[in-house]
Amino acid sequence: MGNKQTIFTDEQLDAYQDCTFFTRKEILRLHGRYQEMAPNIVPMDYTKDPDVKLPIQLIINMPELKENPFKERIVEAFSEDGDGNLSFNDFVDMFSVLSEMAPRELKAIYAFKIYDFNTDNFICKSDLEKTLNKLTREELTAEEITLVCEKVIEEADMDGDGKLAFADFENMISKAPDFLSTFHIRI
Amino acid sequence: MTYHYNEAFENPDYHYSETLEIDRSRERNPSFHQNRHDSSLDDDSLYDSYEGHSGRGQRNQDYPMAIPMASMQPGFRYSHSASGSAVPNTNPYGNPHTNPSFEYEPELAYTSPSTFHAMDGPYMRRSSDVSDGGSFSQRYNRRQADLVYRMPSSLLRLDSKAETYNEDKYKQEEKLIKNLASMSSGERVKAIQKTPKTMKEKRDIRNKVLMEKTKKSVSSSTQINCCTQCMYKTALSYQRFKNGLSEYLHLLQLWQKTLKVIGGKFGTSVLSYFVFLKWLLTFNIFSFLVNFSFITIPQFIASGPNNLSFNGLELLTGAGYFKKTVLYYGFYTNSTISKTENNSSYNMQLAYIFTIGIYFIICFFSLVYSMAKSFRKNFINPQTYSGSAVKLLCIWDFNITNEKAVKLKQSNLSTQIKESLSEVTHEVLNLSLKQRIARIAIHLVVWVASLGIAAACCAGVYFLSRNELQLLEGNKSELENEAATLVLPIVVSLLNLLIPFCFALFGLIEKFQYPRHQLYATVIRNVCLKISIIGILCYYWLNDVATSEKECWESLVGQDIYRLIVIDFIFCLLGSFFGEFVRRIIGTKCCKKLGVPEFDIARNVLDLIYTQTLAWIGIFFAPLMPAMQIISFFIIFYVKKVSLMRNCQPPRKVWRASQMTTLFIFLLFFPSFTGVLSVMAVTIWRRTPSKQCGPFQGLTSIIDAVSGWIHILDSYSSSKWVVWIYRNLIGSVHFFFILTVIVLIITYLYWQIIEGRKMMVRLLHEQIINEGKDKMFLLNKLRALQTSKLDPPKGEQQERSSSSYQPSRQAALQMTASLERPFGRNGRDFYAESSSAGIPEKTGLAPADEEGHQPGISETLALALRARQQAEWEMEDDDDEDFRP
Repeated sequence: MGNKQTIFTDEQLDAYQDCTFFTRKEILRLHGRYQEMAPNIVPMDYTKDPDVKLPIQLIINMPELKENPFKERIVEAFSEDGDGNLSFNDFVDMFSVLSEMAPRELKAIYAFKIYDFNTDNFICKSDLEKTLNKLTREELTAEEITLVCEKVIEEADMDGDGKLAFADFENMISKAPDFLSTFHIRI
Repeated sequence: MTYHYNEAFENPDYHYSETLEIDRSRERNPSFHQNRHDSSLDDDSLYDSYEGHSGRGQRNQDYPMAIPMASMQPGFRYSHSASGSAVPNTNPYGNPHTNPSFEYEPELAYTSPSTFHAMDGPYMRRSSDVSDGGSFSQRYNRRQADLVYRMPSSLLRLDSKAETYNEDKYKQEEKLIKNLASMSSGERVKAIQKTPKTMKEKRDIRNKVLMEKTKKSVSSSTQINCCTQCMYKTALSYQRFKNGLSEYLHLLQLWQKTLKVIGGKFGTSVLSYFVFLKWLLTFNIFSFLVNFSFITIPQFIASGPNNLSFNGLELLTGAGYFKKTVLYYGFYTNSTISKTENNSSYNMQLAYIFTIGIYFIICFFSLVYSMAKSFRKNFINPQTYSGSAVKLLCIWDFNITNEKAVKLKQSNLSTQIKESLSEVTHEVLNLSLKQRIARIAIHLVVWVASLGIAAACCAGVYFLSRNELQLLEGNKSELENEAATLVLPIVVSLLNLLIPFCFALFGLIEKFQYPRHQLYATVIRNVCLKISIIGILCYYWLNDVATSEKECWESLVGQDIYRLIVIDFIFCLLGSFFGEFVRRIIGTKCCKKLGVPEFDIARNVLDLIYTQTLAWIGIFFAPLMPAMQIISFFIIFYVKKVSLMRNCQPPRKVWRASQMTTLFIFLLFFPSFTGVLSVMAVTIWRRTPSKQCGPFQGLTSIIDAVSGWIHILDSYSSSKWVVWIYRNLIGSVHFFFILTVIVLIITYLYWQIIEGRKMMVRLLHEQIINEGKDKMFLLNKLRALQTSKLDPPKGEQQERSSSSYQPSRQAALQMTASLERPFGRNGRDFYAESSSAGIPEKTGLAPADEEGHQPGISETLALALRARQQAEWEMEDDDDEDFRP
């Protein structure tokens, strides 16, 4: 408790608390996690909002993400510059969205970003193929992959443009109640 | 819709950053138009923006004002789509109605390496714009300067127009901030938390809103008074207090780490069992605290010494020494307890009945609440997908962090997908009539058999228990008697353990279309068995024990429940030892084919529900039953955890965790809790309490304690209202009758509303599909027209354009010039503006019609665009209507 003041000012903590689904304590813990990844780069004192970013290689080695097949996409989706470098703000954002408290809409938006590998605002066939490969460790044949992708698009694409826009995706998510509990990383 | 509401934060920003706006309109112009219908905060001014911009676009290109935009469009369009076809993701017409709600997305596009425009510039600029935290007015001014700088003075008219637009915009933003500021702080925080933006932006918005708030409070504080300030301060400190409290509550959360480990290794499905266990544990902790503080502690004060001997077996049987402890009903006195000389006394009867009554009421509401929440969360959409779309995009469990588990999950997934693919190939099993009848017959037989088994078990349990009652009357030694009492609970636990296996065997005979149905069938059969056993035991307690003239029958019932719970607990431990540990040894050492066992979630959860039901019944007869339950749940948690980690593997089948959790909460409520309530009701209203022991000794029924108290209260004039409430509301049949009728009516109304909504959803769904088809059709038409237009040799084109009057030709030249620039900003500007100007406004299209050059194309284009626009609007309107409450 003693060093609480030296990491963040009260105002900062309030701001974080208002903008994320975390309590003060959790934010401090997140800072600890963030700091321990690169103790040389990340300062303990965050009262002046230092402009520090950690590269993607460090982030994806966190035990929470390490084994996740989508780890790179997760980090990229939350990084402000799109290259996967995460500032502390992005880092907090990431776990806030992935926390239990985040509402379905918010989770859906970021899940869409994650699955949209080529960031063209649509989940198209190539995205689906990549997803499938990540999900199954490339154990399927090319034929099976195309079959599955076609089926997915056929099922979820409502406006018939051959790819999934966010509306399609959201509609699909609303029918998959498990999504809320599975799109969740405990920190 | 709150989401859209939040969206509106975003839009103003775009309008102040020029490059951004243009990029944006080029990229996804159509959906942008859409947005204005969607976000109620962004009214027409947004739309005007395009007019403003288009005006500017013209200026930049130095065109004479009258040039028909539409006439230039086709050529440009073609070149654009030609270049676009190389990059598949630029979709010139976007998805007109795809996702109004996805407005923020352009950010993504900027960060994307694959989109072919410069991505860093605008985005960076914008974020820096935001981060330097300038107030809106500051930016507004800068923007204004920009405009003036860029505009030729000859076009001041338009300039002023843009100005008014900008003012509108500014007002809009102010309104938005005010809107946020006017929300209660909780709502505001929620709204900000939900915004899908980076932390910086969120913080910026928050700061602005706070600034607005303080400004307001400062400006208003000129006329006031310390009163509001005081209020404000209390509100603030209350907020702080709440935050602090929630922090400490977080600290109290048990097993956070363990749950994380389990989730990491076994996924959400197994985790749901442990979460359920934890949830039940909190119920019991609460009831223990209530009972202990309001019933037990007062009794301690009044209790005498206990001189029965303790010999260890009591821990199993709950009899003997425990008979004379606070554990059982029989030990509590009926007197009022008063330690001091003055009047303050404690009426044990009332305390007992009210504590338990209030506990059940709280339980009822919290169960209903969590059930409703769970239903709302997990059954938003009645038709759930079972298709591969969900399998692919929603199936990954982000909880899993263990390397082995990830690999296992991946291979499971690929086999699942393969299986589902093979199902697709020979999909519908065309069963002949004979086969179908055979199938139904098998189902029937199995159901009859399982219900028969359950009935037989009940009968057996009933006769055994009656026998035991008589056995107690026989004169044997104390110890033998005590040991004999253990027969019944052991038999019951054995039945509970073995019959489910029997039911599982039925699964081999039955063939279900979906594995899900099999799961449901097994769960229902098991629930039938467990609940009917408990039901028959209750019948025995209330009908035989209660009327058997035995001394202190309530304590006897309490002992029975105690034994049942203890023995069940022991069987649970044995079950996880034999069912999982030994099974694993066999699976890995002797019979490799069996493999490592899986954790059977359904069976385990049903066991929990069973013991919880017993504990609830037991609360009245043994007020400290929750304490036992706490201990046993604690131990079960750790035993199950260790056994899971050591012996089990993650489940192979898809387990719809959230739906099953909802089902289990429902089961906990419906047969279990409501059954307990009815048992309680019979005990309190219909049964005579025993004459020599317990708080209610000497009364004809337990409820007489309350009516007696009301009678006493009647003599005090100050508490007349309590009497009135009791007589007219709680004690009257009419009130409950009316209440039931009202509830039924409301339910019926809601049901009808739901039906209507369902119809609406279906209609909208159809409409979306139709829109998609329309869009494809129009796009194809357009493309065909463009190619046919570009195909004819150049000479002809020249001729045709020369026949038209001069300026348009100039324009054509201009246009080609602008096209030659390799997607410089001007080119893009031009495209964006011309298309946006052409689409919505009739005036924009009118010149094209009048002048009539290239009539075919411009007209069709105009028609197509107009049709599309209209379709969009219609759809939007429908949407809005639908979502408006």
